[in-house]
Amino acid sequence: MRNSMRLMLATCGTVALASAAPADTIRIGITQNNVGIDSYQTTYERAFIEAADANDDVEVIVLDAGGDVARQISQMQDLIQQDVDAIIIWPTDGQALVPAVRNAHREGIPVIVTNSNIAEAGMDFIAAFSGPNNIQQGIYSAEMMCEALDGEGQIVQITGMPGYTTAIERQQGFDDRLAELCPDVVQLDIQPGDWNRERAQRTMETFLTRFDDIDGVYSGDDNMGVGALNAAIDAGRAEGMVFIGATNFAVGYDAMERGEYWGSVYQSPVDDARAALQTALDVLAGEDVPKLNYFDTPKITQENMHEFDRPVF
Amino acid sequence: MLLTRLKAGGPAIAKQGILIAFIVFMIVFALMSDRFLTTANIMSVFRQATIIGVIALGVTIVVIGGNLDLSVGSMLSFATVLVVDLHDKIGPELAIPVMVAATLCLGAINGFLIGILRLNSLIVTLGMLSAIQGLVLIYSGGQNVDIADQSGTWFAIFGRGAIFGIATPIIIFLGLALIFHVIMTTMPFGRRVHAVGGNPTASVFSGIPRSRIVFMTYLISALCVAVAAIILGSRVMGSQNNVGQGYELQVLAAVILGGTSLLGGSGSILRTVLGVLMLAFIQNGLILMGQPYYTQWLVTWAVIIIAVWLDVAAKRGRLFSPIA
Repeated sequence: MRNSMRLMLATCGTVALASAAPADTIRIGITQNNVGIDSYQTTYERAFIEAADANDDVEVIVLDAGGDVARQISQMQDLIQQDVDAIIIWPTDGQALVPAVRNAHREGIPVIVTNSNIAEAGMDFIAAFSGPNNIQQGIYSAEMMCEALDGEGQIVQITGMPGYTTAIERQQGFDDRLAELCPDVVQLDIQPGDWNRERAQRTMETFLTRFDDIDGVYSGDDNMGVGALNAAIDAGRAEGMVFIGATNFAVGYDAMERGEYWGSVYQSPVDDARAALQTALDVLAGEDVPKLNYFDTPKITQENMHEFDRPVF
Repeated sequence: MLLTRLKAGGPAIAKQGILIAFIVFMIVFALMSDRFLTTANIMSVFRQATIIGVIALGVTIVVIGGNLDLSVGSMLSFATVLVVDLHDKIGPELAIPVMVAATLCLGAINGFLIGILRLNSLIVTLGMLSAIQGLVLIYSGGQNVDIADQSGTWFAIFGRGAIFGIATPIIIFLGLALIFHVIMTTMPFGRRVHAVGGNPTASVFSGIPRSRIVFMTYLISALCVAVAAIILGSRVMGSQNNVGQGYELQVLAAVILGGTSLLGGSGSILRTVLGVLMLAFIQNGLILMGQPYYTQWLVTWAVIIIAVWLDVAAKRGRLFSPIA
């Protein structure tokens, strides 16, 4: 029975198998957003399984929704049926998953949301959120931009995919902090780069045509930031232009090493995964866990970059 | 009616609804932004349009042949990831032919299923869209790929280089467009594609090897994707797994804007080029005017609808018609 269950799980997602465990082990199910779609999520999954393997008291059931809301809802139901001790969810859609989370809550199974939060309406039904603070990341980027420009200049902003919580929160944190900290830094325009390097490159090329004087560029992540950098280098205008990003990618790290990229925000998928598991364990241990648990995502600049490992993605 | 008179005055002009719309848009944007009609901007937009453009050439031929190809988006992801990844492993001189061969294989699968087995092209290529994306993820393990030595490789010529002051991707795009235009308008293959798309049954009775023709159109489509991947990989010097996501719809929009009939049998390579450029200039013009992105989405949609309507109206000779 147990084997056929595993077989069934294997068909609908990735499954990590802990060895058959005694009854007092903690069983935690996780349903992820879309493993394999980017290296962040791939690394996250690997780190999560490693962290769980390292703990003998924990057995994990690892599922992946493949970006599909309907599949994630049925995975939630499966995990409830299996009566796991806790469910960790990386929501494919913060709004649509609220009823599924409420069901788990009604069955008495604590739900921990990881990486990107559930909609406001679902906050009452979750035990805790664990993940990066994207508003804080935007604030960090604004502070770096201010410092790099000495509080004065003209900048453009390239945001992530319109409508994505991460994109919205980073922009919000950046815009608010920038206006507050250095009002003399003017944002000429804000356009999306859709998390896509080529798209960001196109957007930046148009900015370069439109504005004769650009002192700095803030991008919602380094992947897009490097696209903007490519465009500026191509136009022969990268010299003296300040590039600030977020979610430090390997390409951003390398560009920083070459002195072409000023700074970013370091967000490790390994820390993200470990924090999620730890939060779940804390909740199960009956500790008084705050609703919002942010793991540290520090500033990384040309100066302090060697304190950090080169990102794996 | 203006259009009726237009048609009476010169059927040749009336047929060029898209060209007229294109010129009107260029004039409007030029009045709104003094940066718009500069050589630098026009060259920049041309270069940006080449990736979508090259793919649209192949898809135009598929559509004229009476089919659809929605798999080009993830095929582009596949080809770009492959050529960028292999660049550092076996060098660009080997990476390019290996990638082209692999991409042609995917095109051959499409061609076999649709041409030989006669399956519905919408279903087959929609399935291929996700199947190929899965293939990319298996190949790359979710990792982004990058070219380490970006300034030293000759691979840079395709996306970043220039010949006689004109960017290489523009030359590739216009060169391919010209070749395909000649093939489609003057050579037997072009006439056969039109015949197969226009009336498949009649074409078979006329002795046209329909299966082979359809198969060929998908090979051409895959070849165009491979060329676009070379431009994209060289321009960005790296690739995400899902870099081509959503490109299939932009490509299809450009093809439709160019007046190619989704029912097959009629269409033009050169007007697809116009469609591609028009979409690219609209996006560029609206950013130059400082419009937010959702305006771009709305305007792009409106332009497609109006252009298609004008096109149909020009063919019918009137704006409103109770019969098609």
